[in-house]
Amino acid sequence: MNDGSDFDATATSSAAQRQVRVQLTSKQEDIALPDNAGPILVPTSLRRYALSTLVNNLLGNDKPIPFEFLINGTFLRTSIDEYLTANGISAETTLEIEYVRALIPPLHIASFQHDDWVSSTDVLSATSPAATWASATISQGQEKILSGSYDGLLRVWNMSSQIVATSPAAADGGHTASIKAAKFVTPNQIASAGLDRTVRLWKYSESDEGFSGTIAPQLELYGHKSGINSLAVHAPSNRILSASSDNSVGFWSTKKSDAPAAPEDLLPSAASRSSKRRKLNSSVTVPQRGPLALLSSHTAPVSAAIFDEKDSTVGYSASWDHSLRTWDLVTSTLVDTRTTSHSLLSLEHLPELSLLAAGTSARHITLIDPRASATTISAMTLRGHTNAVVSLARDPHSTYGLISGSHDGTCRIWDIRATKTDKDGVVGESVYSISRKSLEEQGKSDTKRVGGEGVKVFSVCWDKTVGIVSAGEDKRIQINRGEGVLSA
Amino acid sequence: MNGSKASKKRKAVTRDVEEEAGVFSGDELNTDNLDGALSDNANDLSSDEDESDSEVELIDDFSDEDDEEEEDVLDSDEIPSDGEDLAKKKSNTAPGELGAAMDDGESSSEGEQLNYRIEKDANGNDRFVYDEINPDDNSEYSDIEENANTIGDIPLSFYDQYPHIGYDINGKKILRPAKGEALDALLDSIEIPKGWTGLTDPSTGKPLELSQEELELLRKVQMNEIPEDGYNPYEPTVEWFTSQQEIMPLSAAPEPKRRFVPSKHEAKRVMKIVKAIREGRILPFKPPTEEDEEDDTIIKYDLWADEAERKDHPMHIPAPKLPPPGYEESYHPPPEYLPSQKERKAWEEADPEDRASEFLPNDFGSLRRVPGYENFVKEKFERCLDLYLAPRVRRSKLNIDPESLLPKLPSPEELKPFPTACATVFRGHKGRVRTLAVDPSGLLLATGGDDGTVRVWELLTGRQLWSVKLSEEDPVNVVRWRPGKDALILAAAAGDDIFLAVPPIVDPAIEKASLDILDAGWGYAASVPPPTPAEANKKNNPPKWMRPSSSLADLGVCAVIPLRYVAKSLSWHRRGDYFVTVCPGSSTPASVAIAIHTLSKHLTQYPFRRRIKGGGPPQAAHFHPSKPILFVANQRSIRAYDLSRQLLVKILQPGARWISSFDIHPTSSTASGGDNLIVGSYDRRLLWHDLELSQRPYKTLRYHRKAIRAVKFHPGGRYPLFADASDDGSLQIFHGSVTGDMLSNATIVPLKVLKGHKITGELGVLDVDWHPREPWCVSAGADGTCRLWM
Repeated sequence: MNDGSDFDATATSSAAQRQVRVQLTSKQEDIALPDNAGPILVPTSLRRYALSTLVNNLLGNDKPIPFEFLINGTFLRTSIDEYLTANGISAETTLEIEYVRALIPPLHIASFQHDDWVSSTDVLSATSPAATWASATISQGQEKILSGSYDGLLRVWNMSSQIVATSPAAADGGHTASIKAAKFVTPNQIASAGLDRTVRLWKYSESDEGFSGTIAPQLELYGHKSGINSLAVHAPSNRILSASSDNSVGFWSTKKSDAPAAPEDLLPSAASRSSKRRKLNSSVTVPQRGPLALLSSHTAPVSAAIFDEKDSTVGYSASWDHSLRTWDLVTSTLVDTRTTSHSLLSLEHLPELSLLAAGTSARHITLIDPRASATTISAMTLRGHTNAVVSLARDPHSTYGLISGSHDGTCRIWDIRATKTDKDGVVGESVYSISRKSLEEQGKSDTKRVGGEGVKVFSVCWDKTVGIVSAGEDKRIQINRGEGVLSA
Repeated sequence: MNGSKASKKRKAVTRDVEEEAGVFSGDELNTDNLDGALSDNANDLSSDEDESDSEVELIDDFSDEDDEEEEDVLDSDEIPSDGEDLAKKKSNTAPGELGAAMDDGESSSEGEQLNYRIEKDANGNDRFVYDEINPDDNSEYSDIEENANTIGDIPLSFYDQYPHIGYDINGKKILRPAKGEALDALLDSIEIPKGWTGLTDPSTGKPLELSQEELELLRKVQMNEIPEDGYNPYEPTVEWFTSQQEIMPLSAAPEPKRRFVPSKHEAKRVMKIVKAIREGRILPFKPPTEEDEEDDTIIKYDLWADEAERKDHPMHIPAPKLPPPGYEESYHPPPEYLPSQKERKAWEEADPEDRASEFLPNDFGSLRRVPGYENFVKEKFERCLDLYLAPRVRRSKLNIDPESLLPKLPSPEELKPFPTACATVFRGHKGRVRTLAVDPSGLLLATGGDDGTVRVWELLTGRQLWSVKLSEEDPVNVVRWRPGKDALILAAAAGDDIFLAVPPIVDPAIEKASLDILDAGWGYAASVPPPTPAEANKKNNPPKWMRPSSSLADLGVCAVIPLRYVAKSLSWHRRGDYFVTVCPGSSTPASVAIAIHTLSKHLTQYPFRRRIKGGGPPQAAHFHPSKPILFVANQRSIRAYDLSRQLLVKILQPGARWISSFDIHPTSSTASGGDNLIVGSYDRRLLWHDLELSQRPYKTLRYHRKAIRAVKFHPGGRYPLFADASDDGSLQIFHGSVTGDMLSNATIVPLKVLKGHKITGELGVLDVDWHPREPWCVSAGADGTCRLWM
């Protein structure tokens, strides 16, 4: 291309500058260079911005698209020269540089105000797991956002920040304590769990074109002896995993017929004193069932349990006892234990990379390879949060993307390709940080809250359609969306 | 007048000169050429109406091209001036001769220049009345189109002999563009009067013109020539003195003989000396004779007569040198060093000890006038005295690297993990939070404060789960969870009472177990025969456990122990069946200050009948983690009692003036190592005791600026950490590892100062506790907050 010769000319004018041949490629069709674009000679002093300008010139874009550049699977964060020096690559070789669209900072879309702290959130949209499992179609604008709150109520919101449905209060068969986890199982079923030690399944039905709906109790699952911290659902196999503070992982069926009877001693009527307090509970009778299995080998509260994305018979659990355990759910046996050096507070599976991301109390995210062949426990560490990382979600657009919610009041977006090598091994840095809108509205966005006081993020969910939904101590659900956030 | 006007226009900057234009001699100007030139050069000229009357005839000769075509005009001296705009030009001249005359002044504005009339004003002077400007009639761009050459497709050489190069659409000749020669010719044609400067003489206001001589002078200066006439720089040299031998010299005297004959007189004198030397009258060197100065009246002492020669020794120190003399000590100092009369007087009047200097600078003019120095002997004597009285000792400098003196401590980085940052702030208490405790499962945090409430929080998120108000006015002084995971029982001391509660936030099984544990004692207590009246009248009869009021019972409180005195310390036995309370109030009778409560029997006992000796009321008490030993601290000492044998085992003297709290290392005596103890005191000291080592502290750590309120080891011994809380608003985290073998001592490394609590009413952090499994600690602040550090 003629641009190549242009660059030749400019480069030869400053003969002292080193040059390197680069082959710019992209996996995305729409921003790919024409096929005849051979290697071009560029000065090694170029950085990301200059390269981005160059590619935009080559593409002839009227509106420049910011690009990120990948060399050997790592983002270029220095000049090419420094990269070559750091990696010991000769400037005479032809560098294969892949470029992708740079992440655009996610914009705040809306905030839904609650009465109490919001502990969990989930999204029902055309691209959410619940809808894809049920192969239900949810038209644009009919997306629903589910929130579980510390006041013990589940709320379903539509996109125009109206409450479509609220779960019944404790007296009418609702949760008797704070909800800590809530998930859509199918577009018509919700699972929730909380400090009242139960997993509850709800029938969610919409009427009036989705402007109103009901959440009716369907099933109560007893078995945990302490508060439940998180839930994972797998609708095709009708299974739920729950992580509880009683050091066990619960494995449940969403079907009343599959589930065994509930253990008698854990029913609310069992305790003499508590029956008095919960006498109103009798107004609604909900079937009560027990767990398919309680997986208990953790020695401390289990903070998160998830299904393997590829194989629903495999579960993973992360615990405060610093360990990550792999379970065979069919036989309910422990397969593998990986012990780290910090309490693990959240867990997410990155199936394409065969990695598990675990948020720790030590303010970072550890990427763990659960496969037996993996030699090191921690493949990578993502640092940047200033408080415990309690929620993780995959990027629906990219296999390398990850979002984390932390008690420091921020959600951070990570691209695990954006790394550098530290004394502690490979360390990643966050690409973007989303702070709470409530802080900005108070005009205190720049003030640092000690311990994320008042703005702790408890849950984060990233949906392709809706965007990034995060819930927190500021009693809000906050929705952020980036235009064409992180690709490939 | 034409010439004068033209010349004036050429130097149009001097507008103020216009009326004087006549003084210029314009004779040498070629008016014809000039006008042609003016028409294109004088774009910026303003028209000068006064003199325009004489310029009428110039117009014929004046090429009337537009100003876009200036190049054409430059050829006006050789090209016929009948340009394509002749018609237009004619029309321009039409309004009148005067107006036409103006045109040459400013061809660029000819449209408006021609559009005025001259009228007589009231004074009879000329007055120019301008027409309205029509902004549309400057349609010069359309003219360009008209000027397009219609030459066609023929070689330009056809027009070589013509001044023009074709015709425009109107059939008018298109003139050749100006060439370089034409410009030169024009410039040649313009003559400027000699001596013209373009400046105005500021003194006269007239144009400054230089005379011929001045110009010549300037030229000479410019040319680097000698400016003055008549000076010859190359005059012939006159040799006044010369090296040449003159044939006829000025003086004819012959050279004197003395110049070349040796002096007889000198020879005579030399011979005289030679003779004297030969005769021995002059000795070349005469050794000084001591006899000469021998004088019996003076007694001399040789100070160094018997001095042994000093060996050249490395330890020998030469006397320090005196500073070299300065200017003021000179015999002829510069005048600025000489004292003034006043200074001299002041010096003379001052006491010798007060004088700034020993002497006054003095000017003697020459060295031979310098008198003997009267203080010489005194000065030398004093110098010797100084040297004698101030013996010079070579100090052996300790050449030790200060770093090497420090104990080899591991760096805090290697001792991770330990709490470094505040993770959660627990807000809710009104007033100070006095006490807090993390439950054995590590999920809950119980706090008690000045507002009389006990609250239970979710540890990680800071969510309040349960709260009960135990007392309206008395603060909750201490809350402690019962050890063991089989039940969840919280003991809280508020006011004079101890409350035992089961927070209704646990699952039914544990709740039931907890209630069973608490309820078991009711029956036992009922089976014990009531005390006889005599016993009941005794002052220290043990209190009877009571059921709480129904409002408290609904909230989960199960039992109340009316202690009658304010308990400030509560500590559970490891098995969870006993706890010890201490009422440190000075009004508390010594016999009831320390009470041991048995949970299973609802029994309260007072193990001590008398006050512990030495050091005021008891402050705190803890059970040994594995042995049946009770440690009791009063203000200055800690005593260990064997409960089974009822013996005093050990007395520790921390040396603190007022012990605030202490804690026993959790692995004490379980490993082969001995017991270790940390003690915090109100006099800002943190003391580490190794019980096997001594009754004195092994280490004293004074890092806080204010009193230490609480000290705590990390329970379970998983992390070798301990923390203290101080009134200066900070917590300090230490590494304190105890090794198994008796030979090595504990390693204590300060790790981290955790700041965040605000000091409220002189109080900072009031209590500290550790998470049972994690290296996290929690602190209770006087500012009403609790903080989780991790």
